[in-house]
Amino acid sequence: MRGMNAGIRAIALGLTLLLPGRAVAEEVVILAATSLTDALREIGEGYEATSGNHLTFNFGASNDLARQIRAGAPADVFFSADLAQMEGLEREGLVRRADRLDVLSNLLSAIVPVGSTLDIRGPRDLLEVKYLALASPEAVPAGVYAKRYLESIGLWDDIKAKVVPTLDVRATLAAVEAGHADAGIVYRTDAALSKRVRTAFDVPRGQGPPIVYPLAPIATSKRGEAAAAVVRYLVGPEALAVYQRFGFLVILGR
Amino acid sequence: MLAAGDVEMVLFTIQIALLGTALNLVPGTAAALFLARYRGPGKEAIETVLSLPLVLPPTAVGILLLRALARRGLLGTLLGDLGIEIVFTWKAVLLATMVMSFPLLVRSARTAFEEVDPRLVGIARTLGCGPARAFFRVTLPLAWRGILAGSVLAFSRALGEFGATVMVAGNIPGRTQTLPLAIFHYDQIGRDDRALALVGVTVVLAFVALWSAELVSRRRSGRTAA
Repeated sequence: MRGMNAGIRAIALGLTLLLPGRAVAEEVVILAATSLTDALREIGEGYEATSGNHLTFNFGASNDLARQIRAGAPADVFFSADLAQMEGLEREGLVRRADRLDVLSNLLSAIVPVGSTLDIRGPRDLLEVKYLALASPEAVPAGVYAKRYLESIGLWDDIKAKVVPTLDVRATLAAVEAGHADAGIVYRTDAALSKRVRTAFDVPRGQGPPIVYPLAPIATSKRGEAAAAVVRYLVGPEALAVYQRFGFLVILGR
Repeated sequence: MLAAGDVEMVLFTIQIALLGTALNLVPGTAAALFLARYRGPGKEAIETVLSLPLVLPPTAVGILLLRALARRGLLGTLLGDLGIEIVFTWKAVLLATMVMSFPLLVRSARTAFEEVDPRLVGIARTLGCGPARAFFRVTLPLAWRGILAGSVLAFSRALGEFGATVMVAGNIPGRTQTLPLAIFHYDQIGRDDRALALVGVTVVLAFVALWSAELVSRRRSGRTAA
């Protein structure tokens, strides 16, 4: 399925490049955490249909997206998977604190390939794997959260030599799907998307680190009004329903 | 300037590149000699296949290697039964750099062999040299500079290999991380200072490699002329 989508996207991109500047009402560029990919694509379709505006998504690890914003990449809206990246941009004046909305939360899940013979029921069992895939625990939010969780239960020092760092959380998922890694820790919402992995255990709410997805328009955006409108839509009732359907926890206004 | 572990990482990168070049040397020279001498059917096809890693995107080579070597892959299952694991280990780094740098060695060595006047080899043979002796006493001394140049190119390519390596070996600090992967990693986590320090190291390494090759080939050619 994913492969087919990629093919269609490639053809669409090719066609877009061939077309001379289409008359688009307004184009808003959204930089968003990879874990939000599927939910935001669906929400984006709804927004484009109702507003007539065009959304361009750039999904990636939030730390890398923040780096792109710092480097001056064209961006109107940032939807990060952790506060650290958003606060870094706030300190540099690229995002206004007053504009920021903390919208979603998530949970961590340990996953194994569907055919895995490993009996992993809790965090201690992870010590038995050879390779544990994590989004790069030094910077990528999903990996940072996973590391913080493993540290909090005193397992990190024993497990860190087994860690295979990946570029983002979907790459962690892919590494486990393909069986390159025996297990991985991803968000619950990622685990739910794949038929090729199964959840070994969920990190219960309250035991893992608090996960927060903040959303904000970029202060340097040249399309401030359109960006603000997109942010409003992304926290509107239709959008919130989609996040919840994908398994995110809505924390807006709490 | 270099962070803890970076020195080991740089040494690891050099070791891998040296080992890979050394391991490529004999099969690469053999392939080059074959391509220079062979006149039969399929020559172009063989040449093309051997040069493929040069023109394919490294990530394409990486995914093919990964498919073959992964635990559920064709070779991976076989090697797994023997207790050999390649993916995510230094062996994967070695293999990726070897595959990617092999064609550079072959191309350069082939040109060198083609420039050896076949009459000289013929004369050596009429004077009673066996084919092996003629190769070591005539062909190789005349072609070795091209082989060295190819080796240096291959070594430099191995130092810089990124795409195939990251796919089969991952980017694991202290285990499979090489210089180019570390530069990318530091850039990703916003440590530009460390990335730039490593860029400095790569410039020095490449400079030393090319310069020493130049020196060696100059001195040797002077001596031969004298």
